[in-house]
Amino acid sequence: VRFALAEIRRAKFRFALLIGAVALLVFLILFQQALAGSLLGQFTGGLQRQSAMVIVYNADARRSVDASRVLPSQIAAVAKVPGVELSGPIGEATFSARLRGGELKETTVFGYELGGPGAPTTLSSGRLPAAPGEAVASSSDASGGYGIGQTITVVPGDTPLTIVGLADGIQFNVQPTLFTSYATFDRLARATNPSATEVLPNLVGVEPAADVDPIALANTITEQVRGVEALDRAAAVAALPGVSSIQQSFAIILGLAFVVVVLLTGFFFLILTVQKLPSLTLLSAVGATGRFLLGNLLLQVVVVIGAALAIAIPLTALSVSTASDAAFTATVEPRTVIVTATAIVLLGIASALGAMRRIAKIDPADATSPLTGGGLG
Amino acid sequence: MKLAWRELIRRPRRFVVAGAALTLIALLLLVLGGILDALIGSSTGLLEAQSAPLIVYSSDSKGSIDRSRVDASQMEAIAAVPGVRVASGLGVAFLAGHVPGRAALADVAVFGYEASNREVPAPPSSGRGYADASLKDDGVSLGQTIELGTARTPVRVIGWVQGTDYNQQGGLWVDPSTWREALNDNIPDAAVAPGTFQAVLVTPEGGTQVAMLANAIDVAVPGVSALTIPEAIDGIPGVAQQQSVFTSIIGVTFAVAGIVVALFFALLTIERIGLLGVLKAIGASSRTLAAGLSLQALLITSGALALGSVLALVLARVIPAAVPLSLSPGRFVFTAVGLIAAALIGSAISFRRIVRIDPASAVGGA
Repeated sequence: VRFALAEIRRAKFRFALLIGAVALLVFLILFQQALAGSLLGQFTGGLQRQSAMVIVYNADARRSVDASRVLPSQIAAVAKVPGVELSGPIGEATFSARLRGGELKETTVFGYELGGPGAPTTLSSGRLPAAPGEAVASSSDASGGYGIGQTITVVPGDTPLTIVGLADGIQFNVQPTLFTSYATFDRLARATNPSATEVLPNLVGVEPAADVDPIALANTITEQVRGVEALDRAAAVAALPGVSSIQQSFAIILGLAFVVVVLLTGFFFLILTVQKLPSLTLLSAVGATGRFLLGNLLLQVVVVIGAALAIAIPLTALSVSTASDAAFTATVEPRTVIVTATAIVLLGIASALGAMRRIAKIDPADATSPLTGGGLG
Repeated sequence: MKLAWRELIRRPRRFVVAGAALTLIALLLLVLGGILDALIGSSTGLLEAQSAPLIVYSSDSKGSIDRSRVDASQMEAIAAVPGVRVASGLGVAFLAGHVPGRAALADVAVFGYEASNREVPAPPSSGRGYADASLKDDGVSLGQTIELGTARTPVRVIGWVQGTDYNQQGGLWVDPSTWREALNDNIPDAAVAPGTFQAVLVTPEGGTQVAMLANAIDVAVPGVSALTIPEAIDGIPGVAQQQSVFTSIIGVTFAVAGIVVALFFALLTIERIGLLGVLKAIGASSRTLAAGLSLQALLITSGALALGSVLALVLARVIPAAVPLSLSPGRFVFTAVGLIAAALIGSAISFRRIVRIDPASAVGGA
């Protein structure tokens, strides 16, 4: 241990540069994971954390909640499909809301039939809406003007909504989100656009009967009701426009960052090993075992990656809190940090395989003949 | 300098490590920038296509064209503000397009407009439209009639336009009456009255200051808010946040590139410290040696940039269509300048070590 650490102390500058580079790359990986996770959660939460287990769209909507409008005949037909226990309209739209103090904020509103499918499932305080004009807000927006007891005014039309409860993780489209009665939603849609000729629900929410599989029921609804597409809740969330774009974009970026970490760490230790090959050969000749030399190398890898993680994790926490504002709140999930840190340590060790191979091939007899060194070339 | 160049030619393997790492970093930078450009472009293309410098929304829409409504009386009042030469209406409807012979639906952004802009000629007659070339990927062809939404509103494609997609949906430019019919029949809750648009584009008279005209419109017409096109782009929800987050990530990646170069040349300098001592002993100055080092950093980075650019172009062809990626010449130039600057700064870290080499050490066999 002392031997490995002494070398690091004597080559502080080189190791500091490597630790710095790996720390920044790990920071990039963690920061982007925090962003992607938070973005996806706040993009899809409203659909993911509502009670309808099957979601029915107009087939023309291509699984977009905003684009879907379900016709009255389709709503009636869905209710008659065998296996449907309960069904009801769900409306979704973004409105401008005036908060106390006069600030205007874009706010997504879900409307559902009270007691029917579509209610928020993660109520953390207060209660669900029980009367027109009442709403449940996302708990992450409570401090931003959507706390229990506060009233917001949807404009134009000046329709007031009073917050009576808070639910966790129900944001949708990365905006403050409210759940209210369908009648209130209908009133908001008409008040904000007096030219509206009709307000159609975006979706039909369905609760399957006992022992009915939601996926099978969704398929049955799609087959039996003309012009609709039904999906179970998980599939509906995964199919939201933009979800796969976000997932795949971040997967490419993260993949590249991981490869750079492995390449950088691996080549650094390989070069270092080759540069000090004469010394290592000499050590081997005077009795140092292969295990001792390999152990020192692995320890250095772990120290470098450990130091990089020690810098990157607090840096990520700091950056995430700085990047979060009233419009977007990013969080670092401990599970993500643990999984990423473990992966980086394992990949770092794997990346040192080239250097380990060189050490394993050292022949102590070479110490008697002049060695040329080697290094980068 | 010649020596540095010859070393690169004769010992290319020596530089493979740094080259490989920098190639991947160049690729990472181009992908990050390409995703940012695609995200921003898909949100701002409609506004950037406009030749009018001002856009007017209803004041409580917060700059969202979807929620904005400017009625006929407000349009008249805007047109009457001194300094306004042309006030023309604009509206959008996001609908599914049924393309003949195709089972899959096309995502279409239907624009109703009154005046030509940079990309689109004057409005066609009712029931006809100019389609964005991106809709060709959905099987749309010239002369075809696309049916829009559940109401199957027909629009015949009579020409192509470029770069007018909005929210990653293919633009279809139609006259106001066709747009109004498509919107009202398919999305009745978003219906608009005759004469109403979602936004008004304003072209000022010659010599009129755009910012002053925007203020004059705000004052003269109740319930509307006039913005310059750059202000309107900045006001699109999410654009500023996306730019700030991606710019930070790109900045950190440039820093990583600088550190990689610094690390590599630190190792290289240590390895050939003896040789550098000999060179100094026979008259090479520290400046010459440092310049050689910088030249090597510049050349390695240039090579990595070229390779990274090729890989980025290949990646753009093979990645799923769901990933937004737009690689523009400007992005390549920005990445090249940033990476070369980072590499030169990184290589400069080894200058101190070069300066400290004592020529006398050549005799002692450093």
